[in-house]
Amino acid sequence: MSAPNSNQRKACWGARDELWKCLDDNQDNASSCEKFQKEFEASCPAQWVKHFTKRRDFLKYKDKMQTEGFEPADGPKESRS
Amino acid sequence: MCNSVLFVVCVELLRFILTRSHSRGPFSLPLFTQRVALYQGPNTSTAKIRLRTRLVVTLLFGGGLLGTWWYVRNEKQQNHRMQRIEQLKKVALGQGDFSLLDHRGHRRTKRDFLGSWVLLYFGFTHCPDICPDELDKISAVVSALDKDRSLPAVQPLFVTVDPERDDVAALERYVKEFHPRLIGLTGTPEEVKVAGKDYRVYASPGPKDEDGDYIVDHTILIYLVNPDGLFLDYYNRMKDDVQIAESVRNHMKSYVKLSE
Repeated sequence: MSAPNSNQRKACWGARDELWKCLDDNQDNASSCEKFQKEFEASCPAQWVKHFTKRRDFLKYKDKMQTEGFEPADGPKESRS
Repeated sequence: MCNSVLFVVCVELLRFILTRSHSRGPFSLPLFTQRVALYQGPNTSTAKIRLRTRLVVTLLFGGGLLGTWWYVRNEKQQNHRMQRIEQLKKVALGQGDFSLLDHRGHRRTKRDFLGSWVLLYFGFTHCPDICPDELDKISAVVSALDKDRSLPAVQPLFVTVDPERDDVAALERYVKEFHPRLIGLTGTPEEVKVAGKDYRVYASPGPKDEDGDYIVDHTILIYLVNPDGLFLDYYNRMKDDVQIAESVRNHMKSYVKLSE
């Protein structure tokens, strides 16, 4: 399987951007954006779909940390001895 | 701090030269009252000439001081740049030799690129977004530098970190979509590893999916190598093409000065 060429890359990025725009407009409600999801999966190699999905999750997580702040998990409880 | 000291010295000297008169002490009369006194006297013309000479002397002196300041500043910047180059030389990346095949199937070694400024990037053709972005950036830098006829041509190089899939044909298809001078380099896994190790490039292929496709996690840096084959600088994702072009231009100018 040869690597995507420049046009295929741009088609994939375009489909990804459409999907992400839809998700942004629908508060990440995946069911509202099924059409774009299918288009995205058709335009991009499977590895890239995984890669971009992970990237979006990371970006959302980063946003959440920056807006809502970070709460460190509770440390280990004091052991009773 | 040096600049402000120099400034104060300039101001004091100017004051000294402009307010000096023959009969009184050096700091006695301000220029304004002196001029009034001059107009009242009979020898006004010679006094005026004396004023003109003083102004000329002041300007020449001021110009000399400014020139010195400028020279000192440039020397300081040059020293700063030399220090950074020395630091990077100690890191000693790219000291070894590599032997790879270019995208036309010709064997190329590091020696072939001596005499040129090189912008080197490690990546792979199945890369989803980062490698195309970085190669577009390099292409933009090279095009911008090409516009300046006084600068030598820069040689962009793309070395694969995925020799399993990126053979000569794959590279040929890939590089032709970027700057026309971009050369793609590949080889056996051993040869590629040697080249990567030389620049301490981290590369780790990820898990293969059902199609056998995988993504290679790798160092994302553009390396600048001078015509002597010495690693001089590196640029990460945060640097845009304008900043990189500016940095390369400065390195080129310092390099010329050294060899004189």
